[in-house]
Amino acid sequence: MKNSNPQNLKLGIFVILGIAIFVAAVYFIGNRQNLFGDSSVITSVFKDVNGLQRGNNVRFAGVNVGTVQNIRILNDTSIAVSMRIDDRTMKLVRKNSLATISSDGLVGSMIVNLLPGENDSLASKPLQPGDTIASISKIATADMLTTLSTTNENAALLTADLLKITNSINEGKGTIGVLIKDEEMANNFKQSIEGLRQSTSTISRMVNRVNVILDEVSYKESVAGVLLSDTIAARQIEGIISNLEISALQISDVTTNLQQFSYDIRQGEGALDYILNNPGAVEQLDATLKNIEEATRKFDENMEALQHNILLRGYFKKQARIKAREETQMD
Amino acid sequence: MAENFPMATNVKSFFTEIGSLSRFAGRFFKQLFSRPFEFREFLRQCYQMGNKSLLLVGITGFILGLVFTLQSRPTLEEFGASSWIPSMISISIVREIGPVIIALICAGRIGSSIGAELGSMKVTEQIDAMEVSGTNPFKFLVVTRILAATLMLPLLIIFGDFVALIGSALVENIKGQVSFLLYFNQVFDALGFRDLLPATGKSFFFGFAIGLVGCFKGYNSSKGTAGVGRAANSAVVYTSMLLFIIDFIAVFLTELIYG
Repeated sequence: MKNSNPQNLKLGIFVILGIAIFVAAVYFIGNRQNLFGDSSVITSVFKDVNGLQRGNNVRFAGVNVGTVQNIRILNDTSIAVSMRIDDRTMKLVRKNSLATISSDGLVGSMIVNLLPGENDSLASKPLQPGDTIASISKIATADMLTTLSTTNENAALLTADLLKITNSINEGKGTIGVLIKDEEMANNFKQSIEGLRQSTSTISRMVNRVNVILDEVSYKESVAGVLLSDTIAARQIEGIISNLEISALQISDVTTNLQQFSYDIRQGEGALDYILNNPGAVEQLDATLKNIEEATRKFDENMEALQHNILLRGYFKKQARIKAREETQMD
Repeated sequence: MAENFPMATNVKSFFTEIGSLSRFAGRFFKQLFSRPFEFREFLRQCYQMGNKSLLLVGITGFILGLVFTLQSRPTLEEFGASSWIPSMISISIVREIGPVIIALICAGRIGSSIGAELGSMKVTEQIDAMEVSGTNPFKFLVVTRILAATLMLPLLIIFGDFVALIGSALVENIKGQVSFLLYFNQVFDALGFRDLLPATGKSFFFGFAIGLVGCFKGYNSSKGTAGVGRAANSAVVYTSMLLFIIDFIAVFLTELIYG
């Protein structure tokens, strides 16, 4: 029995120590879940909670301020998430805040983030217990991975195509393959390059010569020089061009008139149209002209006869003398 | 008839053993609430099982945390998830590894001790002598031991878990430049009541199983020194098996409750 007291003391220390560790663990875990401090519950409704669970953290500006208390399915598109928030933080969170669910790292558990909202009318009012705040859905990791998967598939297809292309090139197929693999083509190419080099050299020489010629051009004396440098000549050329423009306009008018005239001839019923469109008239005109020619010839004979007539001979001599005198004065 | 079929004999003896153990457990619960209460003996047993096992549990727990972290670290580092070590180690230790390993250690130390002690008392007819002297040997020897084991084991497991986490934190502090404050912050971030409470709950059943099987084997040991050794040995073997069965049921029930 003498040993019982020290034994009991040691046992008591052990038991209290064990219970203390357990209580401390319960306290720290409970404290993380806001079980012991003053806290309030707020709610937000999401379309998809992306695997959010009870006990997941709620963060405000990157600080853990609460935990998810409950998740209820309201209907097929609405899931209410109740969050227990520390009362000290409740004063800082505004009514216009937005709740969003995201992942804590790439492989971390889900968290609810409280973000400042855009509705300014509610910005001044702090959150009250039982309030419901709006939610926004961000791209979930799964969606991101799906996009990444599509990108990967595309990359795989691209690399497969690239592999085919490089294989073809290695086998000497296609234009690039022939270019790389075909020695004859390479030689031709080399020759082409050589030819191009020579051509370039020739062109270079020609350019130099042109430069020399241009340098030798006297700007004041040559036609080109006058054209390029003389302002008076430039004005004259300008005048010529202006006159040419006027002439062109006039020619255009004349052409228009001629077109109108020919149109009128074609459409009208005058003598010319009659002549043009009536082959018999031409024959008649031809006959008339012959008659006139005949008459003229006979008239000349008559005039000749009149000059030799005694009655009119004096008149004609007088006329001849006047004409001779005028010619003398002219000389 | 059954003697011709060894398999049938084994099955029969197995069920007989289970039946006897159940009756033994029923007798324990019957005697537990009846006077007189052997409180001094109960405290003595608590001291023997609790305090005397403390060093063993402490060293085992510390090395467990140390080795577990050292072994997990390279793989997690390769995966780029070394920051997850505190979470992973704490959940593993508190939920499963800690309770099971410490219970197995205690099964070896406490279960064999009870089996050997009661077996030798049985062999030397001390139990019969107690009956003759008017003391209820079941109450004095069995009830106190089972109750002490049931209550001490959770404390030992909590203590062992704590020391294991200190060992793990030490490795992280040395190898990963993680401060003790940050380590335990991450530990309590990762741990929840669904980790701590079921583990603590099942540790009572572990203690009960260790005490019950140890007492049953010792109390019913056969005559002779060989019987004492057999009692101690079988107490450890049966308890170890029973611990895993209880663990499986506990995990199953936890999954049912917490989903």
